[in-house]
Amino acid sequence: MTVVATKRFTCVADLEEDRRRLREQRKSAARRVRVCIGTGCAAKGSRKLYELFCQAVRETDAGVEAVSCVGCHGFCQRGPIVVVEPGEIFYQRVEEPDVAEIFRETVQGGRVVERLLYQDPATGARARQAGEIPFYKAQQRIVLAHNGEIDPRSIDDSIAVGGYSALAKALATMTPEQVLQEVERSGLRGRGGGGFPTGRKWRSCREARGEPKYVISNGDEGDPGAFMDRSVMEGNPHAVLEGMILGAYAIGSSKGYIYVRNEYPLAVEHLREAIVQARRAGLLGEDILGTGFAFDVRINRGGGAFVCGESTALMASLEGRPGEPRAKYVHTVEHGLWDKPTNLNNVETWANVPAIINRGSDWFASIGTEKSKGTKVFSLVGEVTNTGLVEVPMGMTLRQIIFEIGGGVKGGRAFKAVQTGGPSGGCIPARFLDAPVDFDELTKLGSMMGSGGMIVMSEDTCMVNVARYFLNFLREESCGKCTPCREGLAQMLVILDRITHGQGQPGDIECLERVAVILEGTALCALGKTAANPVLSTLRYFRQEYDAHILQKRCPAKQCRGLFRYQIDEKACKACGVCRKHCPVQAITGQKKVPHVIDQEKCTLCGTCHEKCPFSAILKV
Amino acid sequence: MPTVTIDNVAVEVPKDATILDAARKAGIWIPTLCFHPAVPPQAMCRLCMVELDRGGWTQLVTACNYPVRRDIVVSVSSDRAVQARRGVMELLLARAPESKPLQALAGRMGVTGTPYPQVSKTQRDCVLCGLCTAVCDACLGRAAIGFAGRGKDRVVSTPFRQPAEDCIGCGACAAVCPVGTIQVRIHEKEGEIEISPFKTRVKAQLCQACGARIVSVPVLEEALGKARIDWEKFRRLVRLCPKCRRKAAAEQLAEVALAAAQAGYVSRPKAAAFLPSPRRGRGGGGEGAHATPPLTRPSATLSRKGRGNNDPKGSA
Repeated sequence: MTVVATKRFTCVADLEEDRRRLREQRKSAARRVRVCIGTGCAAKGSRKLYELFCQAVRETDAGVEAVSCVGCHGFCQRGPIVVVEPGEIFYQRVEEPDVAEIFRETVQGGRVVERLLYQDPATGARARQAGEIPFYKAQQRIVLAHNGEIDPRSIDDSIAVGGYSALAKALATMTPEQVLQEVERSGLRGRGGGGFPTGRKWRSCREARGEPKYVISNGDEGDPGAFMDRSVMEGNPHAVLEGMILGAYAIGSSKGYIYVRNEYPLAVEHLREAIVQARRAGLLGEDILGTGFAFDVRINRGGGAFVCGESTALMASLEGRPGEPRAKYVHTVEHGLWDKPTNLNNVETWANVPAIINRGSDWFASIGTEKSKGTKVFSLVGEVTNTGLVEVPMGMTLRQIIFEIGGGVKGGRAFKAVQTGGPSGGCIPARFLDAPVDFDELTKLGSMMGSGGMIVMSEDTCMVNVARYFLNFLREESCGKCTPCREGLAQMLVILDRITHGQGQPGDIECLERVAVILEGTALCALGKTAANPVLSTLRYFRQEYDAHILQKRCPAKQCRGLFRYQIDEKACKACGVCRKHCPVQAITGQKKVPHVIDQEKCTLCGTCHEKCPFSAILKV
Repeated sequence: MPTVTIDNVAVEVPKDATILDAARKAGIWIPTLCFHPAVPPQAMCRLCMVELDRGGWTQLVTACNYPVRRDIVVSVSSDRAVQARRGVMELLLARAPESKPLQALAGRMGVTGTPYPQVSKTQRDCVLCGLCTAVCDACLGRAAIGFAGRGKDRVVSTPFRQPAEDCIGCGACAAVCPVGTIQVRIHEKEGEIEISPFKTRVKAQLCQACGARIVSVPVLEEALGKARIDWEKFRRLVRLCPKCRRKAAAEQLAEVALAAAQAGYVSRPKAAAFLPSPRRGRGGGGEGAHATPPLTRPSATLSRKGRGNNDPKGSA
């Protein structure tokens, strides 16, 4: 059910009056069911849950229950998530058969269905509300504050929780210069990876000469494992719009673009809907809120290129040219889109702006560390127990994020490293778990904050393979324009392929380091310049794994096929004979009731026996 | 006018000139591959890296397109810059190890071999410098060839890898190709000119009298379409006797040749062939920095700012 605001606000007072009305409406509503339809939960069938709840409402004929679609709560490991109001009862891992029970017990009866509540694995305690769950307790949600609360396709919902109140405040009581100063004073730094001071960028664009000026939202989010921007665009698109309108006001722009990667269809859909509703409401377009300020925005979808997340490549793509970066000796704030002054910021950066204007730069600057203010949304993924999106103040330690919030490594395996910053970042080993997470600290450790991807790795992860994985990704995504990136990545990948296949040679590491230096110094854009980081950081902290691969043809993590052996665990073997039957070279011998044995001479290390054994009696050694 | 101190030589250049312009003026050679005065700098090959002093730290930048806006200090011969250029050339040599022109350029840089194996497949030693596509687009306005594919699949190609409809067979791409990938092939029997490897063929205009091949038909048609008779000049020339008319033409040709030599488009020996008397031009360094490119649209290039001779006289 899409709620469409039909009225147009002709002045700030109009908007505020409507806000009061909507707030009252929300308070007085009887029970409400909020079903998450963010991409993660939708992939687990939450849309069907939504339909079933709607059906239940129709059938009971009571007419006072409401069912809403909401955006990503962030606790993706436990999806599909359903929250029931009042009481904010937080149900997780909801399946179709559960709908009837939830509706009967909780919605109609006001009782809680215990088994669907989150249960703390350590204490066994059940959490009724999200705030009681360790995953959420340590988080500080500013950007994701209303994710999971509001229907992203309803501007009314957005307004009821304070959407566009910062815009109203700015247009009614602040000059563009004052808005800019607030952002400068807040210390906000770009959330897309560069960490450039946002206020300074806005200031440069404002002072640049040329008309018209453009503001762009970079929603190309290409880092593998990163989905922060996706959830913001899907779950609270109006926050992004509001931020952009405020930025346009401060800079003196009237035209904006949101560049969304094509692989985010739900984000595109919700943004489109949000724009249509904002225009109708007089919050976008000509004469915003009757103040005479005009700003409109257009969505452009990407064509499937990671490199288009680079600002100059993105602008080339917007212009209809191939998405290839150019030199930044002349900055885009002076000569950007169509050679005009352009201010490009990441989606998460824009989403921070309304809060800064509403609550003040002092408040924002009180959160975080000295040089990294505010909060950051991280996508905590990989071998972690609680996969999902977390928003924490800058300065929280890796240990807190991964263990307190993330619940530690899955399956009780040992922690080995955490990879941050995507293909431009690096791996941080266990001894730095107490390092505070902020822009400069992570860079000191040889990694970087990047856009917020945090991939947790266990003892079963081969770090050489991690480097190979990222290099392969970059090689596919390199635009190919400049020699060092195109040729250098090819050279590095060939070496790493050899190493992970047991064909490493002495001198390989020196060669990798040599190419890394060339890339860093001569590549045209940041993709190329930082491409060697995964290799360099794994070399720095896990050199012994490289040495084992090259000198002993052995993979210590037992991940690279052919570089470790298989052995049958006598005690666990039930002599069922399955492995013996499937071995393609008849390397396994054994009879009934006698533990089977692998002849290591004959074994080709194909791994079939390991896959087939029904008792997990075959070990990697 | 800002001053560029390049390897301790100070030269003044107009604002927004490039470090490469300054180097030329200072007589310092910087290797280039994807640079050509006829097209805007592309900064793709990354061969022209130099070290820029940032006061406290240094940055490697490409000389061909770094705009000079204030006084700067640049090092071409610093270790870091030399190693950077060497690294790029070694990667290029790995890509096209058989290419003689590339080896010659490497030799000038003091690079004799490469430690890297060949891991990329090339189209006849193509180094993807982009000069062919740039010339076809910027100078000819045709863009009959362009880049296709991303990253490792990047190649120079015609639309849909079919013979290009917009190609006029002028051979400018072949003329600027620094490694000889693009060849103009003549097919006598069919009377066609082929641009290889793009498989594009155009008809050749044959002499109406003796049947000799003159030029490609589309080029002729373009020229006819663009040719303008300068009646003012015609009226002046028609009052000269044939001998003096020839003398006037020779003097104009000499001016063009001199300007071209000064700007580095042709070598001095070649230009000297047009000079009536042994006159030594002020030719700057950089001649021979690229294989002698022919004069492409001299009127357009001579009037480009920052190129030495700003003579607006235009067409010869």
